[in-house]
Order: sequence, then structure tokens, then C-alpha cells
Amino acid sequence: MIRIPPYLQPEDAIGIVCPAGYMPLEKAQTAIDILKGWGYKIKIGRTLGSNSANYFSGTDEERLNDFQQMLDDDEVKAVFCARGGYGIGRIIEQIDFKKFKQNPKWVAGFSDVTVLHSHIYSNYKIATLHAPMASAFDDGGYKNEFVQSLKNVLEGKKIKYACAVSELNRKGEAIGELVGGNLSLLAHLIGTSSDLKIKGKILFLEDVGEYLYNIDRMFYQLKRGGKLDKLAGLIIGGFTEMKDTERPFGKTAYEIIHDLVKEYDYPVCFGFPVSHGKENCALKVGAAYKLKVGKNKIILEE
Amino acid sequence: MNRKKFLSSILASSAAIPAFAAKNIFEQDELSKPILVPRYLISGDIIGITCPAGFITDKEIQPAVQQMQNWGFSIKIGETVNKKDFTFGGTDDERAKDFQQMLDDDSVKAIMCARGGYGSVRIIDKLNFTKFAKHPKWIIGFSDITVIHSHLNKNFNIASVHSKMCNSFPDDWSKAEQTQIDSIFSIKQALIGEKMKYEAMPNASNKAGTAEGQLIGGNLKTIESLAGSKSDIRTAGKILFVEDTGEYLYSIDRMFWNLKRTDKLSHLKGLIIGSFKAKPDDPGEEFGKTLYDIVLEKIKEYDYPVCFDFPVGHQKNNFALKCGVKHKLNVQAESCTLIETR
Repeated sequence: MIRIPPYLQPEDAIGIVCPAGYMPLEKAQTAIDILKGWGYKIKIGRTLGSNSANYFSGTDEERLNDFQQMLDDDEVKAVFCARGGYGIGRIIEQIDFKKFKQNPKWVAGFSDVTVLHSHIYSNYKIATLHAPMASAFDDGGYKNEFVQSLKNVLEGKKIKYACAVSELNRKGEAIGELVGGNLSLLAHLIGTSSDLKIKGKILFLEDVGEYLYNIDRMFYQLKRGGKLDKLAGLIIGGFTEMKDTERPFGKTAYEIIHDLVKEYDYPVCFGFPVSHGKENCALKVGAAYKLKVGKNKIILEE
Repeated sequence: MNRKKFLSSILASSAAIPAFAAKNIFEQDELSKPILVPRYLISGDIIGITCPAGFITDKEIQPAVQQMQNWGFSIKIGETVNKKDFTFGGTDDERAKDFQQMLDDDSVKAIMCARGGYGSVRIIDKLNFTKFAKHPKWIIGFSDITVIHSHLNKNFNIASVHSKMCNSFPDDWSKAEQTQIDSIFSIKQALIGEKMKYEAMPNASNKAGTAEGQLIGGNLKTIESLAGSKSDIRTAGKILFVEDTGEYLYSIDRMFWNLKRTDKLSHLKGLIIGSFKAKPDDPGEEFGKTLYDIVLEKIKEYDYPVCFDFPVGHQKNNFALKCGVKHKLNVQAESCTLIETR
């Protein structure tokens, strides 16, 4: 049975860290201000606005220690990753989840943070939060329904998501635990101790900046690894900024996915608002949801 | 890039070695099944050319056809040559059918994949290897063809040749670099059963030592994408070689983490790193680690030998390597050699 960490109360502390790529503090300032405005205290980790000179926000050890400290700090009720990039896979096996397991708290983010979602769900059955990160708050972004969905989820409100239909959808209803994240990361984790367990689940996927042939190859990997045949449902989010080879692949990302799951009978929807773009709502990874793919609309609700 | 030197191979005692002659049981291979080495080729044997992945024209394969004929082989051109389905050499069904015909045609003694690209994984589960497993033949290629090498090694214990393909044979040999010519001629040497010997330039990052084991490997991204599937590469007790091209350093780092976290680095006999022409970091996203750093940090707790800048990869010096066949790797401060031992 999945465990849901306690929802946040006013004055609870949110810790903000960069377990992967570097981010200057000022780039997270809007998010910090807005989170404070929502009534939370903010603890800024040493890896946000660090003095790192390279790609990462700090050495593996620094990123590990900062994340570990937030995970173990009783005062911190949620750990937000300020940005993704690349780097969590380098430290995941060294993170000690002992205390976290006894006192679960929210771990939030997406993209590279998929490593944490998958690892925590598969090993500890604790829900995490696939949600917009710091940059989504900028330029008035905090007012949009997607960042607002993060606020609502943190407060424990149950959210009903709806989105427009695509002609590629397969109609139907599914109930199950919702799991997923970034396709490239989930493919990369196959065979490791962070491998996502998806049998009987509603799987959601998104990706950005990949070659179309590579989307195809990753779906073949999921398929050949037995990860697509026993789903309850499939939610396809944004596959944005796709790249193509000189000789065109001849299909869009959605067409690739559609073709590879057509032999199954679970509901499938395309264009769900989970992505590297603005449309990225907060989803509780591991929580039970109901997916309804209808003729006129798609609904996902707890 | 260091220039590598290819040592002339040592001629085997017999050009034609019957299948099953090279049976060997390798320690630490979970299956402990002997590797099946297909019969080596003799003059007049037929090499089939097919496209399991990307599209190629009849004209583009002509230099390869002519050269392999010069070597004394006959050529059978598959139906997928000149076929085109967007990026693929025909639809999945067409590519699978052509490959299947080559596998099952008794007169075809070796199958050269015309080029890589992408697509082998889309047909691998459609192929029936029953007849092939009883009567193995050489399958030749690299890059996307890593899918086939890994699949054959894991499921059927059949040796195959990792080498350049039709699209690497030059139109004009007089303009080709010697290393490219040597690489192409090494395909013939491998196919006729010469005992292979390779040399890489000494490299300060190498880890010295000697190792003996089955050689296995290929394109790193392709290997990663096979994890969890029934073509997943089995590396325990083997000498692993990997190469890749056009990937960001962070992505290469992530791929080596995948190898490590899927337990593919812990029981190696030795590690061979071919060329990795990494894509330059985007401005402001400097990764800060070299390929050498990336590899060495993943294997620091192991003591097997490691050889960098080995002449295998998406480059002119890309010598034919016999996957599944036993080799001896000897890495020293002054030299690095890989010798087929059988």
C-alpha cells in the first residue's frame, strides 16, 4: 500500500535544493517569494546558488549531503528540486532513505527528478510529487493553473484534471496507481535498482529534445522489457522540441507511441498537460487515480 | 586523436574451420554454454547484403560489392537494398523478411548489414533463428547492429563480426586513408579465419593488466537501450568494448552509470574503450569531466585492465572484432594489445 506523506500546513518549511544541474539563487527567487506567499517557510540548501563552476550545482558529495540533510531535517516537510538537468543518477545509490522511510515527506520536481520518483516509488512505496520547478514560477507563471495545481496538491486538495481529446486516443476507463515521468530517464533506469515497477499502473510519460528515432527506440525498450503490455492506462504528455534525422523518421512522436501500443486494450490519451513546457500540472506519483478517456474529454482524478 | 596501428594478423593454420571446432567453456558466464563459431569463409562463398536498419541505394553498396568480389566472394544482394520507408531500408516486415531469407538460405555463408542507422530492434523479435542456430553463419556490422550481436551472444552463443559495413567502403581507394583501408581489409581477415591481433597506442589513462575472455560489446547507447529486454548484453567474465558518437558528455556519463547500476561493470575481465566523439557541451553547461574521468570513476573499485582509444568506433580506424570469441587483452605502460586466442 502506498504511503502519502502529510500535506503541508501553514508555516511548514520547504527545503529547496539542486541535486542535479547548477542554478543561481536569483533564478529561484520568484519561486521562493511565491512559496513564502503561500504561507510556507523556506530553507535554501547549499546547492542552490552554489559557487560551482561547472555543469553541476556541486560535487556529487555536496549534492548528496545537501539532499540528505533536507531529507533528514524534521523541520522540512517537503524537498523541492529547483531544477533538473542531469545528476541525480550519480548520487541516488548513496542517498540514505532510512529516516525518510519512517517519516515520509514530499519530494518534488520532474525531468531528472524522475530518478527520485522511480527509485522512491519502487523501493519504498512512498508517494512523490511530479511538479513544476522554480523556473515555472517566473514571468507570472505562478498564476497559471499548473503552478496553482502544485499549491493545491501541497494543501491536500484533491484535483480533477481535464484536457482536450486527440483523435489518437483510445477510449476507456482505468483505475490504478499513477506512476511515470521523463521517458529517457525511465528507459535509462531499466535494469537498475531504481527501475520503475509499472505492471497494473497508470503510466504517464513526457520528454523533450529527443530524436524521433530515439523515442521509437525507447518505446521498443519499454515494450520488449514487458513494461507496456500490463498497464491499466497510458497518459502521454508533451513530447516537445522533437528532433529529426536528415532522412525524416516519417512519424510524429504521438504516432510512434500510438502504433506501438495499438495491440493493447487499455485507455490511452495524448496531449495531457505534463511536459517540459508551460503545461505541466502537479501529479502525485504513486497515488491512486482514475483515468477516463472519453469521446469529448479526458479526466484524471484521485 | 591518437593514430592507432593495426598489426598484420597472424594467418590461421586453416582457412576453413568447421563449426563447433572452437568450442570453449568460459568461466563466470552464467550459461556456461560453449560459443558457436560459424564456419570461416573460403573463396567462392556467398556473402548476403541486407538492410535491417537504415536505407541505402544499390549504387552506394557497389564499392563494397566489388571489393568483396575481389576478395573472392560472391555477393547476394537482398531485396531491402534500394528499398526505402522513410529512414528505414523498407518496412519492418520487408526488412525482417529479407534478413530471414539471408539467415535461412543455405548458400549464404555470411550476412553483411549494409549500414546502421536505426531499426534492428524493430525487427529482432520477428526473426526466427531456429535454422541459423543449427547452422550458424557470420553476421557483420556495428552501431545499430549491436542489437544483433548482443541478441545472438545472449540467446544463441553464436559469434559475430563487429566491423565496418557497406557504407564505409570508399568509392575511390586511392583517396582513402591507410587506416580506413586496413580496417576494411580486417573484415576479410576475420571472415577467412585469420587469428586477429590489434594494437592501440599507449595512453596515460589506461589501467595496466592482462585479461583473457570472450570479447563482447558495441555501441554504448544501443547497449543501454537493450537493458531489460531479451537482447540485454551479458558481460560477466568477458572483455567488454564500447564506442559511441555524437553524444553529450553528460549523456555518456549517464550511460556508464547505466552499465554500472545494471551490474555490467562489476564482473568484467577487461574493458576496452573505443572512440567517443562527444558532442561539445552547450555554453554554460560545461560538464567538467573528460571521457577518461567518466570511465575511470565508474570502475575505480575494480582491478581489471582498461584500454582507452582502441581503434573501434564511428571513425576511419574501426577494425573487425569477433564478438563472442576469446581474446587476450594486455595493457602495459608502453603497449596495448588484443589478441585472439581461441
